[in-house]
Amino acid sequence: MSSDLFASIKEGDEYAFTKKDFTRTDFARYAGGGGDFNPIHHDQTFAEKAGLPTVFGMGMLTAGILSRVPAEWFGPTSVKSFGIRFKTRLWPGDDVEFKGIVKKVYEEDGVTHADLDLTAITGKGEVLIQGFSTVRPWSA
Amino acid sequence: MAEINPPGMPIERGKIHEFANSIGCDDPLYHDAEAAAAAGLPGVVAPLTYTSATAFFQPTDAPNLIKDLGLDMRFILHGGQEFFYERPVFAGEMLTAEQGETIKTVKEGKRGGSMQIFDSFTNYKNQDGELVLRVKNTLIQTGGVVKE
Repeated sequence: MSSDLFASIKEGDEYAFTKKDFTRTDFARYAGGGGDFNPIHHDQTFAEKAGLPTVFGMGMLTAGILSRVPAEWFGPTSVKSFGIRFKTRLWPGDDVEFKGIVKKVYEEDGVTHADLDLTAITGKGEVLIQGFSTVRPWSA
Repeated sequence: MAEINPPGMPIERGKIHEFANSIGCDDPLYHDAEAAAAAGLPGVVAPLTYTSATAFFQPTDAPNLIKDLGLDMRFILHGGQEFFYERPVFAGEMLTAEQGETIKTVKEGKRGGSMQIFDSFTNYKNQDGELVLRVKNTLIQTGGVVKE
């Protein structure tokens, strides 16, 4: 589906989107979707007892959204690897920009591959997640 | 509340649909079996981090890294996660998680105390024994409670 894209991809190309105003409902929806029912992510009373101002988002919620960068850009079946490092926490009300940039384009076994650098950065300029991905065309 | 987890990880279209919505994936290939079939795929595609979500639904007798390593839950941070795909995961498969090796490294922290870093590897195979993906999970045990 993305063979034309792989033919024209070059170093420095970018893809980004922003999700504004994360809510506790976003956390609750991910708890149901992903199965993470750690109360630190949905229970205000529990969070306060743990010394936090409020609940914070699951790392794998923002990681999942960041994984959409290579998947939307190159297609859901074109991702060969995806990795993340968690840097700080996501709070309700945060805006987050999810971004990818092509770092390197190369041939491996006659197939075009691209290595991407990925970041999730809050509206306050804090890095939430640093990530990487390698993409290449794949067919069933 | 009881948590009952039978063996294996069935990859199901309805669960993929719910998970995909929870992270905002709107490509029909995650949601619509007909769209997936039209694209020549055996089923809807699981989003890239789907297996780490279903890790919460693993069989109760599956290896529990935190328990096996004797880590203190209060001082554990999830440092990161890496996924290496042989190919996409599709609805209709039955995956099994096999715990691989765990590598421990010790790092001196900037704010006092040392950190123990555990990189553990899990192989996900399907019902035919085919390796579908490998996952590296990084857990960090700090010397004490981490303040921001």
